[in-house]
Amino acid sequence: MSASQSAVRSRAEAVKVSRTFDYLILWTVFMVLIGGYHIHYMLTGGDWDFWTDWKDRRLWVTVAPIVSITFPAAVQACLWARYRLPFGATICVLGLLLGEWINRYLNFWGWTYFPVNFCFPSNLMPGAILLDVILMLSNSFTLTAVLGGMAWGLVFYPGNWPIIAPFHIPIEYNGMMFTLADLQGYHYVRTGTPEYIRMVEKGTLRTFGKDVAPVSAFFSAFVSILIYFLWHFFGNWFSQTRFVQST
Amino acid sequence: MKTIKDKVAKLSFVALLMTLSAAMLYTPTASAHGEKSQAAFMRMRTIHWFDLNWSKPKVAVNETMEISGKFHVFAGWPETVDKPEVTFLNIGIPGPVFIRAGSWIGDQLVPRSVSLELGETYSFRVLLKARRPGEWHVHTMMNVEGGGPIIGPGKFVTITGTMGSFRNELTTLTGENLDLETWGLSNVYFWHGLWYLIGVAWVVYWIRRPVFVPRALAVNAGKLDGLVTDTDKKVAIIFFVGTIGIVLLGMGQANSKYPVTTPLQAGLMRGMVPLEMPEAFVDVKVEEASYRVPGRAMQMTLTVTNNGDVAVRLGEFNTASVRFLDPEVYQDDSGYPADLLADAGLSVSDNSPLQPGETRTIEVTASDAAWEVYRLSDLIYDPDSRFAGLLFFFDENGGRQMVMVDAPLIPVFI
Ligand SMILES: [Cu+2]
Repeated sequence: MSASQSAVRSRAEAVKVSRTFDYLILWTVFMVLIGGYHIHYMLTGGDWDFWTDWKDRRLWVTVAPIVSITFPAAVQACLWARYRLPFGATICVLGLLLGEWINRYLNFWGWTYFPVNFCFPSNLMPGAILLDVILMLSNSFTLTAVLGGMAWGLVFYPGNWPIIAPFHIPIEYNGMMFTLADLQGYHYVRTGTPEYIRMVEKGTLRTFGKDVAPVSAFFSAFVSILIYFLWHFFGNWFSQTRFVQST
Repeated sequence: MKTIKDKVAKLSFVALLMTLSAAMLYTPTASAHGEKSQAAFMRMRTIHWFDLNWSKPKVAVNETMEISGKFHVFAGWPETVDKPEVTFLNIGIPGPVFIRAGSWIGDQLVPRSVSLELGETYSFRVLLKARRPGEWHVHTMMNVEGGGPIIGPGKFVTITGTMGSFRNELTTLTGENLDLETWGLSNVYFWHGLWYLIGVAWVVYWIRRPVFVPRALAVNAGKLDGLVTDTDKKVAIIFFVGTIGIVLLGMGQANSKYPVTTPLQAGLMRGMVPLEMPEAFVDVKVEEASYRVPGRAMQMTLTVTNNGDVAVRLGEFNTASVRFLDPEVYQDDSGYPADLLADAGLSVSDNSPLQPGETRTIEVTASDAAWEVYRLSDLIYDPDSRFAGLLFFFDENGGRQMVMVDAPLIPVFI
């Protein structure tokens, strides 16, 4: 068979091959996302995502969206520009969350015995859906960066609040006030995470009084826009097809 | 060219596998057996743990035990380690096999980081509630910001029973009775499950149709019509509105279910109250100190003056949690970890009672395999070859004098 001949002989066969190809690529992309996005998020979001007593109104709300909009932006750049497929952000988050849940369930709980209600991941799905739909309906990366990045940052806290609210109930314990999340951090001993490295409720937003979460979310949303642009170009660059002179 | 390509492909595959497994296998630090690998000077010249007591060698799940004792914050704190201005009284256990039910320095509960003063001695206790059966090494531990963990002695404690019966029952300030072990867990699963399904639904909606090849061909040919249909747009709007709707609904529901919530509590605690230690009336001057590498023995020439009104004898030398005792003066019956106790490891050239007002120069030898086992002898390779430790003098009335020593150390190799 020479190179100019087609590998398939009928249209039905072509469709079948194309479909097999779809599943192969989807599977590979998904696995790469589980690995790549997960390790990126662990290195940048790390403890903020691992523990309930790091999920605060200031730094978690600020850091998590900023460091997590990266891969969705890059994958969107590829999937939408090349295939008009509007699920780049969602598939990233599906991969990330699956990887996280496997890790938290098997290692944090199964191996080290931290209760799952102490080490569950943050929920990024609402932002991902909004990001994908905005790109699809606007067909504009600029608009997606601005509106989508904004939505990504703003929806993060409300999207997680129903999950973490039960851990913010106050409790008196040995004469001091804790939230249940603080108490989890105190009870379930992490020898490698002394209290002073816990970065929560720090920052200069105190002038806003009680309502720091929305302010943090807005700040995070603005930075998310910038990071979206940056990672869009990474994604763009990675999805170039280049032909190399054969030697 | 081909070999290069193959190599690149192979390498990237290996890299991918490595990242994948690294991410999947990440487990928070659980082990606490780092004590021997810690530099000797860190253990000798920072925090000195003494008078330790592990209240029980064996506990059942849900029962508590307590580790109590004192620690002295060494005044000659090494320059290479940050001062203990931000520290945390931790406990060295392999993960949450116990829960830390309470920890106190003096009478102050210390769930937060605290500031310690150099040269002071503090009492502490850590209350542990057994959670996971097994035999666990339980260490005292102090984390110092910029210095890392300073691990004290460890002792094995056995937990019996089953983890399934462990309960962590509490009552909140809002009157809620709950078990923190499982509190909110089904709610976590519900929301994560729901959102995951929504995400899967969105992707599945798109991959029911041919995905990559035909769409890529169409995009390349500029034939964009039909790649996103009007139905697709309607579905997308449903997802968009649905997402916002569910977020708002969930938020409202959470707020009405938990009307009272507070932010996470954090912050440094200052003003830890040190123990009132009586002024020691024994005065010690280190004339000379050497470490004999072949004999695993440390020799000190001390000039000791008794300024008190009762005769004293040297009974113990404690350094880096290793205790060298002169059994004729003092015997330990507290159940101190055997590997750290040289119960006849201290010999003194003349250990007859030192009378009030008397000054005597004595040769003190502290020898035990622990020097090697606990790698304390490594301190002769330190850039600042010094040793430090606590000397305990005993009088016939049962009184005890604690004296800190800190001096250069000369190694002897032959
Ligand atoms: Cu140990």
